[in-house]
Order: sequence, then C-alpha cells, then structure tokens
Amino acid sequence: MTLTTARAPSPTPPHRGLGSARNSLSDRAFRALTLTCGVLVLAVLGLIAVSTTTEAWPAFREEGLGFVFGTRWAPSAGVFGSLEFVYGTVVISAIALVLAVPVSVGIALFLSDLAPRRLRRAASSLIDLLAAVPSVVYGLWGILVFAPFVVEIYDWISRNTESVPVLSTLFAGPVSGFSFFTAGVILALMITPIITSITREVFDTVPASQKEAAYALGATRWEMIRAAIFPHSRVGMVGAVLLGLGRAMGETIAAALVIGSSPQITARLFGTGDAMAAVIANEFGESGGIHRAALIGLGVELFLITILVNLVARAIVNRGLRRP
Amino acid sequence: MNRTSLSGAAIALAILAAACGDSSKIGQSGGTTVPGGQGNTATTEAAISATLNASGATFPKAFYEVAIASYKEVQAGVTVNYNSVGSGAGRQNLQDGVVDFAGSDGLVADADKPRYKGEFVYVPTVAAPITVSYNLNGVNELQLDADTIAKIFQRQITTWNDPAIAALNPGARLPATDITVARRSDGSGTTENFTRYLVAAAPDTWTLRSGSTVEWPASTQAGQGNTGVAQIVKATPGGIGYVDLSDAKASSLQFARVRNKAGKAVAPSLEGASAALAGAQVNADLTYNPLNADGDASYPITAPTWVLVYKNQTDKAKGAAIKSFLKYVLTDGQKLAKEVDFAPLPASLQLRALAQVEDITVPA
Amino acid sequence: MSIAGPISLTSSLSRGRRVRNRLATAGVWLSVAAAVVPLGFIVAYLVQQGGRVVDWAFLTEDIPIISRGGGPGMGPAVLGTLLITGAATLMAVPLGVLAATYLNEYGGKRRLAGTIRLMADVMAGVPSIVMGLFVYSVYVLRFGQRGFAGALALGCLMLPIVIRSAETALQLVPNELREASTALGARTSRTILTVVVPAALPGIVSGALLAVARAAGETAPLLFTIGIVNAANPNLFDGTNTALSAQIFSNARLPFLAAQQRAWGAAFTLVALVFLLTAVARVIARRFTVR
Repeated sequence: MTLTTARAPSPTPPHRGLGSARNSLSDRAFRALTLTCGVLVLAVLGLIAVSTTTEAWPAFREEGLGFVFGTRWAPSAGVFGSLEFVYGTVVISAIALVLAVPVSVGIALFLSDLAPRRLRRAASSLIDLLAAVPSVVYGLWGILVFAPFVVEIYDWISRNTESVPVLSTLFAGPVSGFSFFTAGVILALMITPIITSITREVFDTVPASQKEAAYALGATRWEMIRAAIFPHSRVGMVGAVLLGLGRAMGETIAAALVIGSSPQITARLFGTGDAMAAVIANEFGESGGIHRAALIGLGVELFLITILVNLVARAIVNRGLRRP
Repeated sequence: MNRTSLSGAAIALAILAAACGDSSKIGQSGGTTVPGGQGNTATTEAAISATLNASGATFPKAFYEVAIASYKEVQAGVTVNYNSVGSGAGRQNLQDGVVDFAGSDGLVADADKPRYKGEFVYVPTVAAPITVSYNLNGVNELQLDADTIAKIFQRQITTWNDPAIAALNPGARLPATDITVARRSDGSGTTENFTRYLVAAAPDTWTLRSGSTVEWPASTQAGQGNTGVAQIVKATPGGIGYVDLSDAKASSLQFARVRNKAGKAVAPSLEGASAALAGAQVNADLTYNPLNADGDASYPITAPTWVLVYKNQTDKAKGAAIKSFLKYVLTDGQKLAKEVDFAPLPASLQLRALAQVEDITVPA
Repeated sequence: MSIAGPISLTSSLSRGRRVRNRLATAGVWLSVAAAVVPLGFIVAYLVQQGGRVVDWAFLTEDIPIISRGGGPGMGPAVLGTLLITGAATLMAVPLGVLAATYLNEYGGKRRLAGTIRLMADVMAGVPSIVMGLFVYSVYVLRFGQRGFAGALALGCLMLPIVIRSAETALQLVPNELREASTALGARTSRTILTVVVPAALPGIVSGALLAVARAAGETAPLLFTIGIVNAANPNLFDGTNTALSAQIFSNARLPFLAAQQRAWGAAFTLVALVFLLTAVARVIARRFTVR
C-alpha cells in the first residue's frame, strides 16, 4: 500500500523507438496485450458496479429515499430502512479514528524523529506486524478475550461518570462487552498501521532545513514539531486519516464479531449496535428476493460512501501536492 | 530481522509440506468420539460414492454431526458437508440450488414455494426442547410461564427481582440484576418455533408475532446460531436466551422449568419432548406442531426439525446418497439422538418419514 | 536524518515551554505503548493458545465433523487457503502487472489511462464483502459454491493493490534506462521486457506479496462463495472448500473449548503465513531496489 504523497512527477511519456522505425508485429502485439489488460481491469470494476446496482435496484425502487433514511429494518415486513446501520458504521468508525489518530501521529513522530536510530527499525517492524495481522484474528481476539474482559471496565466507567454531564449520556448503562465501543477499539487497532505508515512518510519529507531552522531559533522539540513538521504535513495527514476511515467503514468481519448485532440509534457507546457490512454478513445467507436486493443495496450504499471518502482523500492530497 | 525471517520461513515450509503431503487422509483424528451406533446397519446397500452439500438449521446441528460421522462407517464413499448457517439460509440455498438438501426448523412460506426448482418434501428427523437458559448466580431453580417469558423477551420485565418472576418462584432469592436478553441475529427456525409458542401460549401478551426473524426490542443482544445465543448467556451474568437443549447442556447453562398448557411446570428434557410429540397432529406433508402441547408431562416448547429435499432428484449418485443417508438418519440414526440430547421420532412418524424418503425419485 | 535535540544556547527555557515539551515527548512514548501493548497481548495470546495446538497433525488432519469435541485438525483449511489464495494470485498478478505496464509505459496522460487509474483507486476502496456478493450473484448462483469462486473474489480484491504498487515501481525506474535502451536500437516492447520490468521487479514482487498477504487474511469474500468441507479438497472446481480465515470466523462463535482452540490454532497458522509473506516482501524491497 504505497499511496505516497511524493508520487513521481509525471508518468513516463510513451516513447517511440528512435533506432528502429518499424512498428514490428511483436511490438504492436505487446502493446495490444497490455492495453487489453488495462481495459479488462476497467471492465471488471464496471461489472461489479453495474451488477451490484442492478441487483439492488428493486429495493431502491421500492423504498426510495426511505432506504437511506428509514430507521426501521424489518425483512419479515418488507421494510428496509438502513439508517440504524449507517449510524452504527459512522459511530464505530468515529470511535476508531478518535482512538487511532493521536496514537498514529505519535508513533509516526516517534519513527521519524524521536526514536533512537537503533529502536527505529525494531519499531517499524512492529508496526508492520500490526498491519500483517488479518482482521479476522483481531475479531477472534476481540470476541474471546477483549469483550469479556472489558465489561467490568465499561461498568466502572459507566458508574463513575453518572454525574458528569456529557459523559453520562455517552457511557450510560446497560453496558455490554459487545458494543459500539468495543468494535471501535478493534477497528482502531486495525487502522493504526495504515495511518501511521502514510503519516510517517509525510513526516519524512519535511526538509531538514526547516527543522534545523526551528532549532536554530531556540525551539524545543515539541515546538519544532508544531512549527516545522505539522504545517508541512497537514494535507498528508488529512489524506492518511481519510484513508484509515475508508478502511474502517468497509471492515466487515472484525466488526461483525464484536458489535452486538442489535441495531439501535443511541448515544450510549457501551450499548449494542450494528453496522452495514456486519448486517450483510449476518443476513445474506438466508435472504432471498427483495431482502437480498436490500442487502446488496446496503453494499452499494457502503461502496458509495467509501468511494466518496477515498476521492475526497485523493483530492485533498493532490491539491496539497500542487501547493508550492 | 534475519532470525525472524528464518523462523517464519521454517513455519511456512512446514505448512507447504503439509499441504503437498497426505491431504487425502479421511478423518482418523485421534480425539473424535463417535457415540453409539457402529456398523450394525443392514448394510445390504451397494456402495455409493458421492459428495452431498447441505446447509441449514443450527438447532439439530449436534445431531446431524454425529449422524454424519457414524454414517461414514456405513458408506465410506459418501461425504456429507453440513454448513450450519441457520434455517433461513438453508431454505434459501435449496431454493437457489446451491445445496442438495436443507435442514430447517421452520416451514416454507406458501409465497416462496413456486420459487423452488421443483417440488420438495419435508422429512422430519428429530425434535428437541428449546430451553429458556439463564445465567444467574445462586438461583439454581427457576420457574417461568408463557406470559412472563413473553414480557421478559419484549423487555417489559427488565430486572430479575421483578414481582412477576418472584410470584412464580416464591422460594428463590432473586437479585436486582438487569436482565440481558439474548436472541438470534440470523434467520432462525429456533426463533420461529419459540415465537410460535409464545403466540399460541401467551396471545394477549406477545405482540411481536412469529417468524424466523422478529423485530426484537433494541436493547436485546444478538448472537449467530444457537451457539451464539448460548455464548452470550454464558458470558453475561443476568443473561437469558432461548437455546436448544443440546447446546445449552454442552455450554453448562441453567434452564428454567416452563409451565405447560396443563399448568404443570416441566423441565426441558427428552421425556418432556417425547410426551409433547406423542400428542401432536401430523399433516399429510409430514409437517407437525408439537408446541404448547396438551398433557401433564409435555414440555411446552418442543420444536420439530426437518430435512427439505427435492422430490425428483436429477443426479443418480447424489440421489442415491441422499436416500441412503436419510434412511440411515431415520433408522440407526435415531438411536444416536438421545446421546446428544435430541428426542427420536415416535414410531408412527418414523415409518411415515421412511415412506416419504422411499418416494423420492432417482434417475435410473 | 535524526537531529539530536535542541541545543540551548540561550539561558534556560521558560518552565511552560519545558513542561509542554516533556508532555509532548511523554505523549509520543505513550502512543507507541498504546499500540505496542495491545499488539503484544494479542501476539502473546495467539502464540500461547495457538502454539499449544499447532503441530504436524493439526496442519494435516481433517477438520472433525463433530464440532463440539473431537481433536484439533485444520488440514483442509490450510490447503484451502494456499490453493484459493494461490489461484487468486495467478489471476490477479499477471493481469495487474500488465495493466500497470500499459498505464505507465503506453498510457501516460491519455484519458483511458486516467480512467483506469481512477477505477483502480476506487476498486481499492470497495468493501471486501461487496466483492463476495458480486461473485455470488454472478458465479455461484450458476455454478455452485466452490474454491474457484473464492479465488475470483480474492483476485478482484488483489487487483487494485497489484496495479497500484506495480505502477509505482515502474514509475520509479529512471527514464535514462529507457532512453539508453532505445538508443541502442531496441523496440519499445523489448525495452520494457528486458530493461524496465527487471529494474522494477523488486517493487513489483514486494507489492504482489503484500496483496497476497492481504488476500490470505480476508474472510468476507469467502463467506458465501466457498461453502464448507471437513476433508481436504484439492480441486478448486469441484465441490465446496474451506479456508483458515473462514474457519476462524465460524469457530470464534462457538462456545465449545475445542472449537475455540481450533480457532486459535488456525489464527496462529494464518498469522505466521501472512507475516512470512510480508517479511519477505519487505526484505526484497529493501535489498534489491535500484536506488
């Protein structure tokens, strides 16, 4: 995964052989081959987009905008409103970001600046290891180890914030190990390596001269970071965060195992909920007819949201690159 | 870094070698215990070779597993893969033609029947009690009735020391713990049977109707499969959920005695289930309803389960294998049922089911 | 490029600035701990639980039919993961590398190339379950559940990753190499095949390995496409199959100890496999890249 902010200036321009003027058969054949592959890739994606949308169409047609904004999802009654799941996806992704971003930025700073050179490689490998763990293993750990363990902590937090204004709503009981918050924590673990690696690459591109200048003016390390690294990297960091967000929203398995599978729109972070991808995984097997169309529709909805997030990330990153 | 790469390489080599190696071994794993029924079938059948794919209910999963394992001793060439994904998914898979037979605790809706690829039949296999399992320290005996169960699962009763529960359990010390309701997240025949019981036994209290999915109140927890619900109840003090007897016992859960139609509080047991089955009315297509049965000894939440299979098979080997397997389940297989906490079918129903299997046509 | 901290030439810093600096440094170390500690727990637990269960028998024997008890065995899943991921790789890598070659060597700024690039980026963001749904509707309903369906879904998942990394690797090859080859009279295709691709090969290979690692760990695309088996099935085109990730997913939800142990064992095996692939990818990238 190398979405670097420092892409090569422009792709190599197509060139013609200066020596041989003949466009030989093998040359044309090779070119045709690569072109075919390019078009094939386009075709596959197009097919995915078209096929899923057509399959989902009956549900969209039936529900109209109610599909996106309806709060009731009742397959047995033929009602399909996805808002509870959109809410769940948004909430767990938000929790994941709130937890992952500060940690990722901290680690990136560590890797690019603060770490003693010896530790740097070890820490870097550790982060790679974090990225290598498949999501289902995080889910397994979450359901068998983390969720049962964390219930008491949630309970403690819930009881001790009862009198604090905002927190009492967020942490009100009844608490459950399988909840928005647990899913958010597991997702945070998963997206940290992505955000860290991109942010670190961005930090590494800060010119040494800027850092030295800050120090020369008498800045402490923290002040140097604020003055030289952050302003330069703001755009890249936003891109990294949005990419992490995209990954969190699309994550199916880890979330499905620990979110509680009981959809509701509530501010209680320790309560159960449900997310779009998890619902698809749980209900698809038994669905038929319009229920199946509605689930594929959820998939399309999720697809569109993640596309949007990714496109925004690309736009921000590219715009940032063009700035002098 | 080098050392890690080396050990990583060693592991990978081991895995690769394993994969290229003896992958054709058929389940001789040391720990598999196959209870009962070893090779005393009438093996006058010719040897068949086929692979059957099936999917469906988690309710009878434990029974199908032992039946499949011991059937292998009878017909070593037949492999049966049963994917327990829930009754709803099983029926859908059969409809799509993705499996050879489906396990389902619930019936196919009339509106869906034309969507199937042909006529299908219900073959009853076993039945079992659906327990109302709970997790409450210090409460070893609990009695409930249909009304109270309905209110609990509709979240009208939210704490264990509610007067309604206390009234049914005068001697028990009920704590003030919150009740955590565990139910199914997937389309389930167990849910369907449980809710049908509540519709029949508590018609004025239960408002959520019945079906393989039901609109549960928001503050309930959902698990996938009977085992998912069992897992939630087991892990949550104050939890309560509906789980088949076999999985409840295997997860060491406590279950409540339920007041039946005759007013007696009966514990979920095979005797209670058999009593309920005895009086049940069986329809011509072999569907029947043992829920909320009459009789003093009947356990009121006894649930049936069937195998759904197409009447006219198209593949010779598969058709023969299906008939052979189902016949096994209905004869020697019935002896295995009790060992995994399932109630065998009453003799009359067993005979009718065998006749049903005989009627399945296989191309010559 | 590490600058060894500020050298204070002036008099001591104000207390506020010093405190803020210390807090920030503490914050950084805390965040490292926040990532390392849970990871440490997870890996330790994985090694402890999985290591107990994984042995030769585990890696080769069939999955017990009786899920509650029975001994451990994940042979079919190991085979399934290797075969399905392998097939996906065979489909996605050549296609992706050739497409990337088109994009970088011939496509340039043309509209078609731009569209393909955009689509590849978009495809990278598709939730993996949507890939599974797609293959289910298009393939499984017609041909049934089989290993190949899973391979198709994983291949679709790998394609954008391969294209992106291959294109980047090709871009990093200096133009001088291409020009020198052309000046010596080589045709374009010859230049690409004998000069550019070999120069970019480390990057291409490492990108492909990362894609394989990602695919091996995916569960969602396999959920509805491959079904289940208890005995090893080496045939991708006939009959259902299973994979380590799918087995972990289904066993994680069972409350029986034996099933959970099998899940840990499968997780251990899978992580070892993925980690190995990632480590090899990094080593290749670092050691062989032309700088």
